[in-house]
Amino acid sequence: MPGIFVLGTIENGIPSRSTLELLTGAQRLAAGLHEDVCVGLLGPGDASSLYGYGVEVIYRVAHPLLKEYQADIYLMALERIAQTAGARVLLLSGDSLGRDLAARLAFRLKAGIVTDVIEIDIEGSEKMPRFTRPAYGGKAAAVIVPKHFPVVVTLKPRTLDPAAPAGKPKGKEVPVEISLDPAQARTRMVERVQEETTGVKLEDARAVVSGGRGLGGPEGFTPLVELARVLKGAVGASRAATDAGWVPSSMQVGQTGKTVSPDLYIAVGISGATQHVAGISGAKTIVAINADPEAPIFKVAHLGIVGDYKAILPPLIAKCRELMGS
Amino acid sequence: MRIVVCVKQIIDPELPASQFRIDAESRRQRPNGHPLVISPYDENALEVALTLKEKTGGTVAVVSAGEPSAISALRKGLAMGADEAALISDPALAGSDAFGLAVALARGIQKLGTPDLVLCGCESGDWADRTVGPILAEALNIPCVSFVAQVEAQDGRLRMRRVVEEGYEIWEGAPPLLLTILSHESNVPRYPKVRDIMTASRRSIPTWSAADLGVEAGGMGKAAMRTEVQQLTLPSRESRCELLDGEPAQQVATLITKLRERKAI
Amino acid sequence: MDLGLSPRQEIFRDMVRDFAETEVAPRAAAVDAEARFPAQTIRMMGALGLMGVAIPEEYGGAGADTICYVIAMEEISRACASTGVIMSINNSMVCDLIYKFGDAEQKRRFLIPLARGEKLGCFCLSEPDAGSDAGNLRVTALAEGDHFVLNGAKNFITNGREADIAIVFATVDRQLKHKGISALLVEKGTPGFQVLKEESKLGIRGSSTCQLLFEHCRVPRENLLGGIGEGFRIAMVSLDGGRIGIAAQAVGIARAALEASLEYARGRVQFGRPIASFQAIQFLLADMATRVDAARLLTYRAASLRDCGAPYTAEGSMAKLSASEVAMWVTTKAIQIYGGYGYITDYPVQRHFRDAKVTEIYEGTSEIQRLVIAEHLLG
Repeated sequence: MPGIFVLGTIENGIPSRSTLELLTGAQRLAAGLHEDVCVGLLGPGDASSLYGYGVEVIYRVAHPLLKEYQADIYLMALERIAQTAGARVLLLSGDSLGRDLAARLAFRLKAGIVTDVIEIDIEGSEKMPRFTRPAYGGKAAAVIVPKHFPVVVTLKPRTLDPAAPAGKPKGKEVPVEISLDPAQARTRMVERVQEETTGVKLEDARAVVSGGRGLGGPEGFTPLVELARVLKGAVGASRAATDAGWVPSSMQVGQTGKTVSPDLYIAVGISGATQHVAGISGAKTIVAINADPEAPIFKVAHLGIVGDYKAILPPLIAKCRELMGS
Repeated sequence: MRIVVCVKQIIDPELPASQFRIDAESRRQRPNGHPLVISPYDENALEVALTLKEKTGGTVAVVSAGEPSAISALRKGLAMGADEAALISDPALAGSDAFGLAVALARGIQKLGTPDLVLCGCESGDWADRTVGPILAEALNIPCVSFVAQVEAQDGRLRMRRVVEEGYEIWEGAPPLLLTILSHESNVPRYPKVRDIMTASRRSIPTWSAADLGVEAGGMGKAAMRTEVQQLTLPSRESRCELLDGEPAQQVATLITKLRERKAI
Repeated sequence: MDLGLSPRQEIFRDMVRDFAETEVAPRAAAVDAEARFPAQTIRMMGALGLMGVAIPEEYGGAGADTICYVIAMEEISRACASTGVIMSINNSMVCDLIYKFGDAEQKRRFLIPLARGEKLGCFCLSEPDAGSDAGNLRVTALAEGDHFVLNGAKNFITNGREADIAIVFATVDRQLKHKGISALLVEKGTPGFQVLKEESKLGIRGSSTCQLLFEHCRVPRENLLGGIGEGFRIAMVSLDGGRIGIAAQAVGIARAALEASLEYARGRVQFGRPIASFQAIQFLLADMATRVDAARLLTYRAASLRDCGAPYTAEGSMAKLSASEVAMWVTTKAIQIYGGYGYITDYPVQRHFRDAKVTEIYEGTSEIQRLVIAEHLLG
């Protein structure tokens, strides 16, 4: 029965955070369009906890070739599951898998596609789903409507709240068969490198201290690391700093980096280009420290200090240390 | 190795926000005579192509599907070092979505001659849909790896550094491949030299219509769009930044007070 | 009459603007504050072909035209006026000179590396007692066998410290007045040629302005540029072209101040509204924009005449006179629009104001420009 499809992942019997964010969107669509929610899973594992979130059906492909991600193999499995489910709206996370596969899935399903969605609602009597997404680097907001179903939708990670349990846990699981051949994998992964992050994860941190081109070089990050540690937060970077190779790209905050929504975001030596600002729109309080009083960051920050970060950070770290008693 | 780079011409995304205006009716940014540039990640893709050509030989072609003004974007590609360029432009294609564009680009690429590698920017600097690249790979029926920062050619095969949330992965595959390119210290786009700009200005760049490419105009353009922009608005951003005065010690003290007031610490 | 740029001139402009915004502008404040020569930027500009824009490719240049040169001068100077003047001297006052008046060997030895940006040049005409009165030179070049021997001091020489090659104007016989002036190509490192002093300036602080001393400096005869006694004419012809470059520099400085004022006026709120909504400010901005546009068009007109091979002396002077006075006026008003913040060194408008002033003085003072134009009018 046509419905709302979510591509989910389960970790140790618990739905991942991104799955819960997708389920929030799914629940909203299901309520407005009077459809059911189903979840697709690529791989084994106890998924019964999903029923507690209003999921009617779980479609699962469990094939040994799905153990490690490979785009062609995953896409074929995803296509099969999507065809089986026959949903009208398919929700995927806008993570690295979604970036790879969502548009290709839409092509194979002859579906429409909307990406980077930050808000979902239903329009009045027409019961038309509306998807809001940033445009022009976040300078504008666009509302996209499908003219055609099915439609594949990717959600911007860390934007919708994770779903709350809803309704009585009931549902069924439908296994989906597929024959996959390793020769169908046209690329293969040779190596995976996890860039080391000590302490809090950037996307989860309540406080983030970020550095940009104004730091002058990788050594400039030293006081930022200390300040982040004192605030029990994480260190981020602008694209200028990661493109220059000063810090690993996994620290990049921005349009093509990570989206963060901490209580406190301190931007040090960051000019405030739109693509960086796109990654911090959810931050509650933004503080900017920059020597250039005309830097665009001062147009988005709540509090600003024009000056040399080398003179500002040491007293700031000392005062924070006092406060936090560490 | 034959490389094709797809570029999109857009209004300069680095314009100050104060000059950004939208046309509520057409639901697009107002051009207002602002400068037109190659979408930034497409320039990174061009740089990757040119670097590969310098290291392993071969040719680089640059192609764009859009308005006639995109000719200047293609000329810049030639000035940077591309060997040939082609523009796909036809009123019938105006307003095409990613699916329509990808079909047109696929035909154009095939007309140029089947490449070993197709490169696109990971996302455009205006709408950042991230769809044309992967859909083009489907239309060409070649594998796709997205968000690639670096590419190397080794014994006729390609190795790519794909950026993911926790770090990166190294992928490898045989041509033909389509890659969407992310910015990286190794692919900062080169400035075209003045003499190359002068030489490129004398080159001819063909413009291909839908008919030239054998593309059915019926399946293209606004009519064939699978989604549409219903509304485009400027979010009101009224946050006034409070600049803190005094010597660093004073500024820091005021900052801490205000952060506590805002419950940020 | 098409007043627009050709497609290739637009691509050229976009490249220089992009380069200027990414590489030149971020360094401008430090270049000014530290009076630091922007060596890395100049190297990059050389590699791109910006140090010999209108010199033909066979002589190491970029093979573009004067219009492209003024476009580049405006874009670079908008980002950093110091970088602009360094570029202008090398292009107009050194490369152009050798291209017009040098023999094949001089072009090979000097023009090619200068146009490529591998070497930097300086133009040595001014002396402590010979500024506007350029015909009254005291530096002597006395023949001694197959050498000329230079003696005397030059002052206010841009690029004096960093230049590898100097074009030095000296007199073979003071009695002949300006008819005795000859031009010599002198390489740095030649014994008897030293940089005596670098001046501390109000503006364009990133370019060195030096006093040079020649003491029994022996220069080979084959380094004579043009003929004996031709030096004054050579200097005047080169100043004609140099003026167009400086006009473009002034337009760039004025434009930077205008753009900053527009942005500031949009954002600065007083009495409950942006100051851009007050007529006083609107009228000021309108006048600033009109004058900058007019100065730019005069500059393009002079450049266009030069590209056509037509005489452009008066038109070049008009462009330089107008653009420099516009730059001074616009930058003064820009500080006024900024109010107190305009006076604070954290903000760039004060730098534009300080940079603008010299454009009314060097490469022919505004008074000299008026004389040139009057002579053209009155015959």
